[in-house]
Amino acid sequence: MTTRWWLRRAGLGVLVVWGAATLSFLGLHLLKGDPARIIAGGGGAVSGQSQQILDQINAQYGFRQPLVVQYGRFLGELVTGDLGMSYQLNQRVTSVISDQLWSTVVLALGAAVLGFVLSLVLAVATAGRPRARSLSSTVELVLVSTPGFFVGILLLTVFSFRLGWFPVFGDDGIGSLVLPWLTLALPIAGTLSLVMREGLERALEQPFALTVRARGASATRLRLRHAVRHALLPVLTLSGWMLGALLGGVVVVETVFARAGIGQVAVTAVNGRDLPVVTGVVLVATIAFVVINTGLDALYRVVDPRLGSVAQ
Amino acid sequence: MSARTRLSRLAAVATGLVLLATTAACSSSSAPSGGSGDGSPVSGGEVTYLVDQTQLTLDPGVSPATVTGLVGRTIFDSLVVQSGPTEFKPWLATRWEISADGREYTFDLKPGVTFTDGTPFDANAVKATFEHIVNPASKSQYAASLIAPFESATVVNDSIVKITLTQPFRPFLQALSTPYLGIQSPKALALPASDYRPIGTGPFSFVSWEQQKDITLTRNPAYTSAPSNASHTGPAYLQTLRFNYVPEDATRYGALTSGQVQGTASVPPNRVGSLQSNDRFRVLKTELPGVNYNLFLNVKNGPTSDPLVRRAVQSAIDIPALVRTVYAGQYAAARSSLSPTTPDYDAAAESALPAYDPEKAKALLSQAGWTDTDADGYRTRDGRELTLTWPFLALINRDQRDVLGQAIQAEAKKVGIRIDRPNLDAGTYGNAVLKGDYNILDSSNARADADILRFSFASDQTFPQGGANVAQSSSPELDGWLHEAARTTDAAVAARDYALAQADVLRNGYLLPGYVMTSFVGTSSALRGVAFDVQGIAQFYGAWLAT
Repeated sequence: MTTRWWLRRAGLGVLVVWGAATLSFLGLHLLKGDPARIIAGGGGAVSGQSQQILDQINAQYGFRQPLVVQYGRFLGELVTGDLGMSYQLNQRVTSVISDQLWSTVVLALGAAVLGFVLSLVLAVATAGRPRARSLSSTVELVLVSTPGFFVGILLLTVFSFRLGWFPVFGDDGIGSLVLPWLTLALPIAGTLSLVMREGLERALEQPFALTVRARGASATRLRLRHAVRHALLPVLTLSGWMLGALLGGVVVVETVFARAGIGQVAVTAVNGRDLPVVTGVVLVATIAFVVINTGLDALYRVVDPRLGSVAQ
Repeated sequence: MSARTRLSRLAAVATGLVLLATTAACSSSSAPSGGSGDGSPVSGGEVTYLVDQTQLTLDPGVSPATVTGLVGRTIFDSLVVQSGPTEFKPWLATRWEISADGREYTFDLKPGVTFTDGTPFDANAVKATFEHIVNPASKSQYAASLIAPFESATVVNDSIVKITLTQPFRPFLQALSTPYLGIQSPKALALPASDYRPIGTGPFSFVSWEQQKDITLTRNPAYTSAPSNASHTGPAYLQTLRFNYVPEDATRYGALTSGQVQGTASVPPNRVGSLQSNDRFRVLKTELPGVNYNLFLNVKNGPTSDPLVRRAVQSAIDIPALVRTVYAGQYAAARSSLSPTTPDYDAAAESALPAYDPEKAKALLSQAGWTDTDADGYRTRDGRELTLTWPFLALINRDQRDVLGQAIQAEAKKVGIRIDRPNLDAGTYGNAVLKGDYNILDSSNARADADILRFSFASDQTFPQGGANVAQSSSPELDGWLHEAARTTDAAVAARDYALAQADVLRNGYLLPGYVMTSFVGTSSALRGVAFDVQGIAQFYGAWLAT
């Protein structure tokens, strides 16, 4: 991992961010319909609006200018890190996002950790044990194929409506986070443990497994200390997918559990053609993606030192 | 977006399951009834009320959202109160005079009232509120349209304000009585929109708002300006009132039935029965005044430009049966353009709507030249199939209108009419509406004044012109009634004009009435004194918590 490697990754990152911003700009501008009308309608409501208000909006946001001019202005603002004012919220985009980001990060990060731990426990406990394995993989298959919305409602019904252990909604403390975390983590845990168990089982069949046992290590020590390392590589590869699942999942979880967050902001902004906010959300997601992917690529080399020398 | 679609598709399944689980929970733990008498109101307590809608701004002068009206009603007082369908009583205005030409309204204002930020309520505040709403920079999405003929507000002295209109406008007092024209603190309005705080003279004052999450209000201890028709005077009973945004029907319902909140808006129709049968909860119901949820038939485009085809559509679909099935008997089928609770509703006009008669529908289609039938069973004329286009926008779908739509499609098919429902994005949908590129379009429009008929059917109120006339009706006779009713100062003239208009729009087949918009509020049995006003807005001024 030389300086050159990092520089190249940083350059690629900037390119990806630029591409994402441009795509979101084009996407919203090439959609049919008069943006001024949609903004005036406030979140997709379709109602007639007086010409005076439409003119006001068109003048304020320059929608009548050629697309190239609008794109130039958009890039200019982007470079200075100023995402401008939201069309609809009367707030700066940076403050809209920073207000909501924390709640979503806590949700997504917690769910990722929980999903990872759950899958690790499941995989280590069931790999190479036929009966436990078939039970576990059935459960995993059910989790993977059940939509998050349904899982959320089911968890709410049992643990909040009936047992009253957790509140339905609210942002106060761990209690209100348990069910959203679980909802988001279960489908992820399902997929990860399937993959992890495959990896574990393959590792356990390797000659080194026998060697380790022959040196006197217990079965558990073999699994945790030696085999898991091998099983982790494909899991790391899946992390990009996991980020996508988390980002998509928070929209559903935030709706079901009535939580404020980036998911809700994004849905409202897309519906209301709130370009500055959409761009902001896209950028946050892209940057998260770039940072995580770069971090993972670096991590690969730690988990499996062989990769480092090959890449060099 | 894809998550949204998936969500709604799954909602039906999950709803059923949750319903099973929660009804079981209710029946196993139903407490004995704590006496049926309401007792006398107790002061204090905190109430959380769930709403299914969010808003982009709390400013009632800007936001068109129903929830803004609901929250705004507790924060803002209006100049007048709508105490009956066509009756207005003093509120912040103690009396008023209307000039002979109907263009000047002079209001005497209640003395000694202050906004919750300490600013005195006076003629300046009224002027500032009006000027804020009509200022194009405010981008008012609703309030400004309610007072379209507004010309100017003049401060005569501190306690007298004169409003001048460009033309006589009978619905003006009704517009003033809505929360969207609640009087706001001029000091708060002077701040930039990004720092907006809703400051009124009302029974509750604003504490905090977290976008997409909750709005917290606290009692205004110095409240003295209750409307003249209120059940009590002085401060409200509840100490704290919180509105939480919970978009999922099942989540709202579960939160109420598990006792985590005291009230919720929009109880889904299929849950009303189980909530009513449980004495730990109450269901308040009101039919909203205004234009019902209707299917408007475009008179300017394609097959629906033929009155015979429009009559055929009206006869072909058994709306009462469909509405009963889809909404578990909780919504009433609409029999006219307006809901029965609208001022100047004319029940006699209902007879202008043809009864359900599929045979007559077929005969009308034959008469209109759609004589042949193709392999799919649809009528054809000159080799072209009878297809009506009804654009669908998932974003604004609510109340299972998509399900009702499918039932309507199936009924229409029985007489040989194909109804297409292309699923469009907001932009494409908006374009289609703008260009009149549809045969059927569905909408509803709440308003406690029959002037909503003008907004919905007058030829100068088409969608591109800022109105809601999506049937694109343009009849000089109808225009004449609607405009006269808006300008006259004679209530009897307005009532007669509106009666004629209600019959006319049905007879000409401008619409197929759907269902009467109905609001169900669910509360715990401890929450007392919540009531609907004439406009169908839940009122919290008289609400209190029984212990």
